[in-house]
Amino acid sequence: MASIQNGFCGRTRREFLWQAGGGFASLGLTDLLSRDGFFARRDGLGVAGGEPAGPLAPKAPHHPAKAKACIFLFMYGGPSQVDTFDYKPKLYGLDGKTIDIATKGRGGSKNQGRVVGPKWRFRPYGECGHHVSDLFPHVARCVDDIAFVHSMYAESPLHGSAMLMMNSGKILSGAPCLGSWVNYGLGTENQNLPGFVVMLDQSGGPISGAKNWNSGYMPAVYQGTVLRPSGEPILDLALPEGMTPREQRRLLDTLRQQNEAHLAARPGDTDLAARIQSYELAYRMQANAPEAIDLADEPEHIRRLYGLDNPRTEDFARKCILARRLVERGVRFIQVYSGGNHNDHNWDAHGDLVHNHEKHAGDTDQPVAALLTDLKQRGLLDSTIVVWGGEFGRQPTAEYAEGTGRDHDSAGFTMWLAGGGIKGGIKVGATDELGYKAVEKPFHVKHLHATILQQMGLDPNRLSFFHAGLAQRLVGTEGAEPIRELIA
Amino acid sequence: MLPTLPIPSIVRAAAAAAALLAAAAAQHGAAPAGGADWWAYRPLQRPEVPAVRAAGWVRNPVDAFVLAGLERRGLTPAREADRHALLRRVTYDLTGLPPTADEIAAFVADVSPDAYEMVVDRLLASPQHGVKWAQHWLDCVRYAETDGYERDRKKPFIWRYRDWVVDAFNADLPYGEFLHKQLAGDELPDPKVADLVATGVHRLGIWDDEPTDREQHRYDDLDGVADTAARTMLALSLGCARCHDHKKDPLSQAEYHSFLGFFENLRPQEQNARAVPVDGARERFERDLADYTAARDDATKALRVAATAAWDAMDDGGRIAAAKRALADVVASYPGERGSASRLIDEVAGQDGRNSGQVVQVPGVFGQALRFDGDDHVTVPRVVSGSFSITFFVRSEWRGGGSGNDTRWFTGTGLVDGEVPGIVRDFGVAWHSDGRVVAGTGDPETFVASGPGHHDGQWHHVAFTRDQQTGRIALYVDGVLSGDATGNKKPLEATSELTIARMHPGGRGFVGDLDEIAFHDRALAAAEVAALAHQLPGGVVAAPVIAELPAFAQLRALRRPDIETVEVLAVQEHGGDGPEAYVRLRGNVHSKGPKVSLAFPALAGGGAPAEVVPTQHSSGRRTALAQWITRPDHVLTWRVAANRVFQHHFGRGIVRSSSDFGRLGDQPTHPELLDWLATELLARGQSLKALHRLLVTSATYRMASTHDDKAAAVDPQNDGLWRFDRRRLTAEEIRDSILATTGELNLERGGPSVYPPMPKEVLATASRPDEAWGDSPPAQAARRSLYVHVKRSLAEPLLAGFDRADTDASCPVRFATVQPTQALTMLNGDFAQLQAQRFAARLLQQAQGLDAQVRLGLELVTQRPARADDAQRLLALASDLRRDHGRDDAQALQRVCLVLLNANEFVYLD
Repeated sequence: MASIQNGFCGRTRREFLWQAGGGFASLGLTDLLSRDGFFARRDGLGVAGGEPAGPLAPKAPHHPAKAKACIFLFMYGGPSQVDTFDYKPKLYGLDGKTIDIATKGRGGSKNQGRVVGPKWRFRPYGECGHHVSDLFPHVARCVDDIAFVHSMYAESPLHGSAMLMMNSGKILSGAPCLGSWVNYGLGTENQNLPGFVVMLDQSGGPISGAKNWNSGYMPAVYQGTVLRPSGEPILDLALPEGMTPREQRRLLDTLRQQNEAHLAARPGDTDLAARIQSYELAYRMQANAPEAIDLADEPEHIRRLYGLDNPRTEDFARKCILARRLVERGVRFIQVYSGGNHNDHNWDAHGDLVHNHEKHAGDTDQPVAALLTDLKQRGLLDSTIVVWGGEFGRQPTAEYAEGTGRDHDSAGFTMWLAGGGIKGGIKVGATDELGYKAVEKPFHVKHLHATILQQMGLDPNRLSFFHAGLAQRLVGTEGAEPIRELIA
Repeated sequence: MLPTLPIPSIVRAAAAAAALLAAAAAQHGAAPAGGADWWAYRPLQRPEVPAVRAAGWVRNPVDAFVLAGLERRGLTPAREADRHALLRRVTYDLTGLPPTADEIAAFVADVSPDAYEMVVDRLLASPQHGVKWAQHWLDCVRYAETDGYERDRKKPFIWRYRDWVVDAFNADLPYGEFLHKQLAGDELPDPKVADLVATGVHRLGIWDDEPTDREQHRYDDLDGVADTAARTMLALSLGCARCHDHKKDPLSQAEYHSFLGFFENLRPQEQNARAVPVDGARERFERDLADYTAARDDATKALRVAATAAWDAMDDGGRIAAAKRALADVVASYPGERGSASRLIDEVAGQDGRNSGQVVQVPGVFGQALRFDGDDHVTVPRVVSGSFSITFFVRSEWRGGGSGNDTRWFTGTGLVDGEVPGIVRDFGVAWHSDGRVVAGTGDPETFVASGPGHHDGQWHHVAFTRDQQTGRIALYVDGVLSGDATGNKKPLEATSELTIARMHPGGRGFVGDLDEIAFHDRALAAAEVAALAHQLPGGVVAAPVIAELPAFAQLRALRRPDIETVEVLAVQEHGGDGPEAYVRLRGNVHSKGPKVSLAFPALAGGGAPAEVVPTQHSSGRRTALAQWITRPDHVLTWRVAANRVFQHHFGRGIVRSSSDFGRLGDQPTHPELLDWLATELLARGQSLKALHRLLVTSATYRMASTHDDKAAAVDPQNDGLWRFDRRRLTAEEIRDSILATTGELNLERGGPSVYPPMPKEVLATASRPDEAWGDSPPAQAARRSLYVHVKRSLAEPLLAGFDRADTDASCPVRFATVQPTQALTMLNGDFAQLQAQRFAARLLQQAQGLDAQVRLGLELVTQRPARADDAQRLLALASDLRRDHGRDDAQALQRVCLVLLNANEFVYLD
C-alpha cells in the first residue's frame, strides 16, 4: 500500500498524481479527478507488478516510439555554421569587406560588420549532394543519413542562458533538462545503469556546470549522471580501497538482515522496503557500470574506425564508443560534450577561428562519423537519434577590428540529426545569403526538443509535470510542434 | 531551570483571539471577504473545540479536533510511542539532531508527570532549534549564496540573512514582525542593521549578470521576488497569473502586476553589498564629529588671528603683490556668479564651460554658487594634467550613491570628474555614499576618500592635489587632510574635458551646490589649502604666516571621525517615488498593457487601492504590503503559518500543498483545526514557539507510527491522523546525524559558510574546477549542514542526493526519494568511509571489548537500548570479517560502523 510519502517523494497528492500521470496522458484521462482515482489504485508509480516500482521504472510511451535512445553530441561554445555545414558561396568574395548587416551577439548590437569569408572549402557529398566543409571529411561521408536543420534560432546569444535554453528549453535557470524529461516520461530500461548520462570534456564542464544536466523542479532521480570514460565511471561507484567485492557482499547481507528485522516490526512501509532494494541495485550497478565502460572487448577494426588509436581523436572516440555501448545496454539519453571550460577549450572562436575550429573539428570528426557508421552497421541507428550542435552558431562577420574571430549568433545556426526515424540526406530551412539569420522555416530550440520527444514516443505538448501551480512542459506552456519535415 | 513559555489558558486564548479579530475588523472596516466560495478565502474564525467520546485521550484541543474526525470514521488513534521513539522524534523535529546519551538517560529516568514537557521546553530554548527551522524557511525563499549562470557569482554577505532567520526563530520573533522585517525592514523609521539584513530575502534569486534582455531579466527577477513572497507568506500561486488570468483561482493578470508593483521600485540585484553603520554608530559618530568640529574651529580661530595681523601689517603695494602671487598658479577659475544659462565663465583665461540642463545660481560662499539637481552638469576643458590642485566649495543634503565599502571615486557621483572607463590615465573628484568626498587617479587605480557625513547642508571646502614628480595625491576637506596615496607619475590626459556635477561618462548627476571651482597648476601645500579652506586674508599668501603656528600643527593632527560600518546585502529603492505599474502582456516587459493601481489581491480581502506613504528614500510600498499581509484578520497569513509549523512536525501540512491554498492545491484534512491553530497563533502573541509546544505536546503527536490494517483500509493516506507518519531524515539531518554519531559535529553557529571536502570528480564538472570550491579546516567542515556553502552550479553530493531543495525556485515540500546512488554515497563515498573510521575510533575509546563496542554503536545510531539479536548479527559480521577476510578487530569494527550508518533505523524516524 502507499502512503502519500511512500507514493511519491512527499509531494502533495495532486502534484504526485500529475507527475505519475505524465507518461499516461495518452490514455486520454483528461479530467483530473478521474485520474485521482485511477492512479490511487495503481500504487502511484504507474507500474503494475514486478520490481522495482521506482520513479525510473519503464513507462509506456504516448505513442509507439521510433527512437529508444538519444545521443546528443553537444558542441559547446557554438560552432560556426558558415564554416561547417551551411554553405554560403557569396561569403568568400566578401572576405574583408565591411557591409551593412544588423547583428546581435556578445559584443552587443551592430549595424555593420567586416565579413570573414569561410576559412574552409565546401564540397558536395553523397547522393543528396549536401555541401560540407573540409573541417568534417568523415562526417561528410555520412550526409545521406543526416538531416540538417539550417534555420535554428535561440533566445539568447550569450553562453550562460543559451546553454540552459538548449538543455532545458528556458533561459531562466531552474527547469529540468531534456534528458530528465525523457527519463521522467519513459523511465529507464536498465535499472543497473543511470538513464541519463553525461560525458564532459577533459578540460572541464561547461559554464553553469551541473545546471546543464539538472532535473530542476523534478526529483533528483531524473538528473543526469556524470560518467567518466575511464577509472571510476560514476561517483562513489568504486569500492573503498582495501575492500573486496566479496567482503562488501558480506556487509550488505548483514545490512539487509538488519533492515529486514527493522521492517518486520513496521509492516507495510514501502519506503523501508524500497531502501533495502536500493542497496541491491547499487550493488548491481557496481558490477554493471564498469563493464559498460570497459572497452577491452572492442575489436581492433572498431578501435580504428573511431580513431581510438590516434592521440588526437582518442578521447572523443572513447566517449562515442561508450555512447554506443550505453545505448546497447538500454540507457535512454546520453550527452557527450565536445569542449568545456572557457575560451578556446571549446568552440567559442572569438580570436583565431582557424586554430579553434581545426582543433575541435579535428578532435571529433572521425569519432562522430564512426558512431553513425557503427550504429548503422549494428542496426541501432534506426532506433537511436543522434543530435549534433551547439548552444548557438557564429556570425558571418568579424567580432573585432582584426582577426578571424566570430561573435555568437543565436539568430540562425545549424544543427543536424540522424537516425531514430529522422529522414537522411535532407536539409530543412535556410539562413539568409550571408548565413546570419534564419529566414526560411525558422525553428526555435523548442521545436528541436519537440522533435526528439516525438521520436522517443512522447507527445511534447502532453508531457507535463505539475509544479508551482502549472502543468510545466519542456516546450513551454504555449507548446511546440515537432519539425515534421524531418520525420520519416 | 530553563524558562517556560508563557502559555495562556485555552479559555484566555479563545477570548484573546476573538477580541483580536473583532478589533481588526473594526479597524479595517468590514471583515475581508474575498472569494467566499473557497475555504481559504473565508474570514478566519475561531472554531469551537469539538466534543469527543474518548475525552481521556485528549491532552489539548489539537487532539479534540483530530479525535472527532477519527471517531466520525470509526477509527481510533494509535497507542502512544515509547519514550525512546518520542524523545528521538521530538529532538529531531525541534533541533534537527539526535538526542545525546545523557539526554536519553535523563528522560527515561524522569518519572515526573511533566518530564516530556520539560524536554520540549529545553529543546525550544536550545539555539539549535533556530538552525533546524531556518532551513525550512530558507527552502521556501530560495536561499542560495550564488547567482547562478555563467559566472555564478557569490552573493556577498548573504549569510547574514541566514543568520538573521536562525536568530529570529531562536528569539521567537512574533511572526508578523518576522514577515514585516523581511518585506520592508529597510523602510522602518530607524532601521537597525538586522532590519536591513532581513530584506536580504529579496536578493536570493537567480541573477544573470549577462542577460540577453536586461529589462526583461529585471522583471523576471522581480517576478521571482513577488511570487516567492506570495507563495511563502500567502500560499498564493501568484506567478500563474503573470501571462494570463489565473486558470483556477480568481486572480487576474492585472492583480499580478499590481502585486508586482509593490516591489517595482527596488534597485536591481546587480548592486553589490554595501556598508551600513552598525547600530549606535551614527550617534557615536555625531558626538565625535561635534568634538572634531569644535577642535577644528578653535585651531582655525588662532590661524585667522595671525593671518589677519599679517595682512593688516601690509601696505597696498604688498597686498597687490600678494594677490598676484596668489593667482599666479591658477589656470582656470569658475567663481559661479558669471555666465549665462548656457555658459560658465572662466575668469582667468577664458576657458569657459558649457552648461547642460538647468544650472541655476544661488547665493554662495562668495557671490553666487551653482546649484545642481541631479540632471544637469557643466563641461569644462581639462586645463591640468601634470601637477595640479582642484579646489572648490560644496554643499549638499544628499547622501550620495554607492557604498561605503567601495569608495573608488568612479563609483560615486562626479563633482569635478574626468573618468574614462578602463585602465587609463584619468582622474576625478566625486561625491560618495553617506556624504563622503572621494578622489583618485587611474593606471594604476589610486584612491583617497574622506570620512562620511558631509551631507549636512553646510559649505565644505575640498582640495584635491597631485604632484607629478612623486605621484602623490592628497585630498583635503575643510583644510584637513583626509588621506593621501601614491599613484602614477605620468601626465593624466585620458580625456580632453572634465565634467562638473556628474561622472564624465554619464549617469545620474550630483544634487547640491558648488562654488569657487579653481584649477591650480601645482600641488598646493597643506598650509595653503588650510588658508584657502578657512578663507584667511590673502589666501595662499597666508600660508607662511600660519605654517609654523602650534594651532596649525593641531589642525594637521585632526582627523575627521568615521562611522563604524558592517557590510550587508540588503535592498534599496530608487527613491521616494516608485514607477507606475502596468500590465505586461504575456509577461513581456516590453509589451505594456493598461496601467494598474497598487492594490492587494481581491480574493484575499484586498481590492481597494493600497494606502502608500512614501519616505525620502523609499516608496513605502513594501511597508503597505507588509501591513496588509500581517493584519490579524488576514484570511491567508495565519493559516499558512500554522500549516507550515504543522507540516514540519507531522510530515505534511493540514493542507499538503503548503504554498498553494488555491483550487489547484489540496483541501485541508482538518479545516477547523487549521483555523483554530491560526487563531491560536494570533492569540499567543504570534509566538511560533508557543505553536510548536502546543503541537508537540499533543496526544496526536505522541502517537506511535504503528501500522493498523483496519485503519489503513479505511484511510490509506492517514488523512485522519490515526497514527504518526514515519519519515526519512532530511539531507541535512542525515549529514548532521552522522557527524553527531561519530562525535565530530561542530555546533558553532553563524558566520560565513563553510566548504567541506568536495570530491574531485564533482569539481571536474565545473567550468573552472580549481576555483569552484573552497577549503575549510576540518573542524569548520564539520559544522551543521545549514552552514555548508550553497552554490547553485555545484551541489554537495551527499546533500543533493538526499533531496536538498533546488534553490532556483521556492521549495515548500521536499522530495524524499530512494535511489541506488544514495546507497553508493553512503557505502563508498569518502565522507561515509571517513566517518565510519571515526565512529569506530570513538567506540574503541569509549567501550572495552568488541561486544560492548558494538552495543554502544547500536545505541548511538538508534538512541535506544541495543537488542541482543541486533548485536549478535553485527558481532557475527565482525567475526566473519576476521576469519574469512583477514581483518583485525579495529578494521572489523570500522566495517560494522559503516553498516550501522547505513541502517534504515538510522535514517528513518518513527
